Amino acid sequence: MSTPEQQEPKHKILLIEDDKFLIKLYSDKLTREGFEVSMAITGEEGLSKVKSEKPELILLDVILPQKNGFDILSALKLDSTTKSIPVVMLTNLGQESDVKTGLELGAVDYLVKTDFSITRLPEVVRKHIALHTKKGK
Amino acid sequence: MAKKSKSRLTANMKNITEVTSVISHQLKTPLAGIKSALEVLLSGDLGSLNKDQQEYVTLALSSAAKMIGLVKNLLDASRIDEKRMQLTLTKADFGKIVERVIGDLESFARAKNSQIITRIESNLPVLSIDETKIQEVVNNLVFNAIRYTRGKGSIVVAVSKKGGNLLFSCADNGIGMTPSEQKNIFKKFYRSPRVVELATEGSGLGLFISRAIIRQSGGKVWFESKQNQGTTFYFTLPIKPIQ
Repeated sequence: MSTPEQQEPKHKILLIEDDKFLIKLYSDKLTREGFEVSMAITGEEGLSKVKSEKPELILLDVILPQKNGFDILSALKLDSTTKSIPVVMLTNLGQESDVKTGLELGAVDYLVKTDFSITRLPEVVRKHIALHTKKGK
Repeated sequence: MAKKSKSRLTANMKNITEVTSVISHQLKTPLAGIKSALEVLLSGDLGSLNKDQQEYVTLALSSAAKMIGLVKNLLDASRIDEKRMQLTLTKADFGKIVERVIGDLESFARAKNSQIITRIESNLPVLSIDETKIQEVVNNLVFNAIRYTRGKGSIVVAVSKKGGNLLFSCADNGIGMTPSEQKNIFKKFYRSPRVVELATEGSGLGLFISRAIIRQSGGKVWFESKQNQGTTFYFTLPIKPIQ
């Protein structure tokens, strides 16, 4: 039997989302699946937490107070210390032009909240962390 | 004077469209929350549900999905009014889209004591279309054909090549349309009293959105109908991609 010390370290995820109910739903789901989740509810707080906490993956909403998700994504991709962190957009803006903007700015995936099932969230997060790790080797 | 009231009316309509768009967007976040919470409950993550609980959560999830669909339709209608609807063009097999829709609706047709006969020409060319939106149009037309048929229904869905277009048709032996219904059928939110009597659910946006999608895809939509005898809806899609 493995002791907690022997267990693999938990993957660190940063959730940048301003809706309290969705924050609870997404963070609880990922925590139950063994991820370590930290949260930010504004764009500025999100950017600052990316730098201080160095997450392995960021889940990013678009419509946020202070700075929108696309501006945050641009800032992350311009910074050499954060540009390689995979960012998955998790938003309700689902027009083709929004998806295109997100992917062109460097997001690895674009999920529309009302179309996407939360039950698939851990699987998507795992996939992108694995792809990123593989790319880094 | 008339000019003034027309411009006021146009401004009011623009405001209504904007308000509809904003409210619809605002509804999406709480709806995503409701849907996600129900999905978590149903997945058994928080403990297993008994049969009755499962049934209630499934029903609630299906209601949430309907509300999401309605909000999407309202947003689409606003985008059409504001000429902001966008198509995502990809290469698609139109025959397969039609088969998929019919597969999805077959159990509904059986429940309504109707049968769907499919006549899809083989070797149809691949089209450059917005697959999701075109599927929505086919779904709207076939769903309406099943829904607005009383008694034993027979629905014939056909796809063929006609010149530079693919021609889709969906013929039913349902309630048909009166001349007045025919005039209004593509109007936003229009639902005739006879239709409401048959099916209370419906926003009256389906045909308005469908026509806009087909027009923006470079095609045409029309119908032939006789009251109490049935309706046939047609649309074309150009084989050559739209510019």
